[in-house]
Amino acid sequence: MDTLIVLALNGLIWGLIIALIALGLSIIFGLLDVINIAHGDFFMLGSVFAWFIIKFTGNFWLAIFIVPIIGFGLGALCEILIIRPIKNAAALSIVATFGLSIFLQESVRATYGAAPKRLMTPINDTFLLFGTEYEFYRLFAAFFAILIISIFFLFLHKTKIGIWMRAVRFNPEIATAMGIPTKKIYSFTFALGFALAAQGGVIAAPITTVDFQSGIDILPFCFMAVIIGGLGNLEGTVAAALILSTFEGVVATFGDPTVARISSLVLMCIILILRPHGIFSGAKS
Amino acid sequence: MKFLRGNNLAFLIFFVFSILVPIIFPLFLNDYWIKLYSEILIWSLLAASVNILFGYLGLLSFGQALYFGFGMYGVAIGVAKFGLGLWSSFLLGILVSVSMATVAGSVAVRLTWHYFAIITVVFSLIFYFVALSWKPITGGDDGLPFLPPDIINIFDFKISLTNPTAQYYFIIFFVLLCYFLILKLLNSPLGKTFIAIKENNLKSELIGINTYKIKLIGFIFAGFVAGVAGCLFAFYGRYASASYMFYHVSGEAVVWSIIGGVGSFLGPVIGTGLLIMVREELSNFWDHYLLLVGVVVVLLVIFAPQGLAGLYNRLLKKIFNKNNNA
Repeated sequence: MDTLIVLALNGLIWGLIIALIALGLSIIFGLLDVINIAHGDFFMLGSVFAWFIIKFTGNFWLAIFIVPIIGFGLGALCEILIIRPIKNAAALSIVATFGLSIFLQESVRATYGAAPKRLMTPINDTFLLFGTEYEFYRLFAAFFAILIISIFFLFLHKTKIGIWMRAVRFNPEIATAMGIPTKKIYSFTFALGFALAAQGGVIAAPITTVDFQSGIDILPFCFMAVIIGGLGNLEGTVAAALILSTFEGVVATFGDPTVARISSLVLMCIILILRPHGIFSGAKS
Repeated sequence: MKFLRGNNLAFLIFFVFSILVPIIFPLFLNDYWIKLYSEILIWSLLAASVNILFGYLGLLSFGQALYFGFGMYGVAIGVAKFGLGLWSSFLLGILVSVSMATVAGSVAVRLTWHYFAIITVVFSLIFYFVALSWKPITGGDDGLPFLPPDIINIFDFKISLTNPTAQYYFIIFFVLLCYFLILKLLNSPLGKTFIAIKENNLKSELIGINTYKIKLIGFIFAGFVAGVAGCLFAFYGRYASASYMFYHVSGEAVVWSIIGGVGSFLGPVIGTGLLIMVREELSNFWDHYLLLVGVVVVLLVIFAPQGLAGLYNRLLKKIFNKNNNA
């Protein structure tokens, strides 16, 4: 029972990080109609940048603030160079972002190296949770992820740019006619998506290993959270990420991680068959 | 001579060229290129199976590697575990991949667009992890090697895959057979129905087409093509490995087919050929050649959104228009 709670908590925390990354994917998907294969690599880049910043300055807290800003800049650059010329065509976006993904992975392999490395936890304290030493950092990661997600939703609903983003998503032509700078909103959204994924990467870095291939593993999971939550339903994306990840944590108590992964995939399959438009219908499609 | 046009002509050229490769290539290239050519053709079948679904039915599948993997394991398990011969293990490989495609397809084709893409990924991931963890049968990440059985073994007459020429023609025969079937399909009323569904699903339903059934047939056929590719690759590499079932392999096939030109008959061959050749050539003298591959892929999508086949058609039109004006 104790291991069950600990692993479920681990799953929940991982789910919060996934939710952060999946939110970025979801806005890019919903607003630009771009299927972003490189999104996992944005996450990977976030953790690699964190690793470099910590190596040179030794300060994790610096990384947690600077990396999303770097991510934002790179995201804007990618949008202007790659996404804009293909005019948001979904099928082409797959290939373009696949190329981007290859490029990003290889540039990390060339500079950072192919071997996975571990990052020291910035908070070394542990506390006793049901008989196991539990890392304090994980709790911090969870709270930080919740904080960012809350800020994101506040931003989307309370600020001018946030409302513009929702307007462009609703109808780009009318939004343009109303004087909203649609093109800038596209760049901004892509950059914001990149920044969210990079932020997820920084937070996750001390929990997992920093590896140039970590994006490949995380990508399908993020896509599933987006789809199962209901396309364009951002709250649904968060909920789906949490449910799937916690479920996987619970199953991992009874079997090995691969079995847990398989069962969460089967669960996803069943959800997709029973509710083809996501668990939270009323998705604003 | 009317039938010698467009796709039929392209197939004929492709056919003759493939037959002649072992004669032409040695004149100016080494034997390695003959082997590489047959490998390109095997992978192009995987891209062709994406092309059938995406180019002609409008269904974007990110899970074709699943049927490729099933074909591969069908052959490897057939030979290594059951001790089957070449033909019966080949049949087993095709059978398991087609059955898997039937099961997966009957669920998947109910869904559309993004949902379809995601469920195909989910299916392939499930079996990827199963193959990875079920080590006694599949060999997991290390793979399952086997000794190639003979193609023909009657009395003293033996032809084995260890003979490079025999292996080449064995592979080419089945690849060309698959392309021939695809060509037949595209020219048939069924092929036209595919395109009708791609153009407008609702209208096709309204004129009385059973879209579910047609899509399922397309899905199973694409699974069959991917399965044959998997079987051939198992014979080619003499092993099967779970890593070929990962969604990244499916993604590569999607990229190959879009780069080549989606919805064009030989587009997958061109796209696969180009990217594999770039990989093989560059990897010899530059460790980080993938940087260039990434850039090339992005540039191709930006400047040739219809793929290489589309680029060729555009070029052809330009030349002919010039001639007309002159």
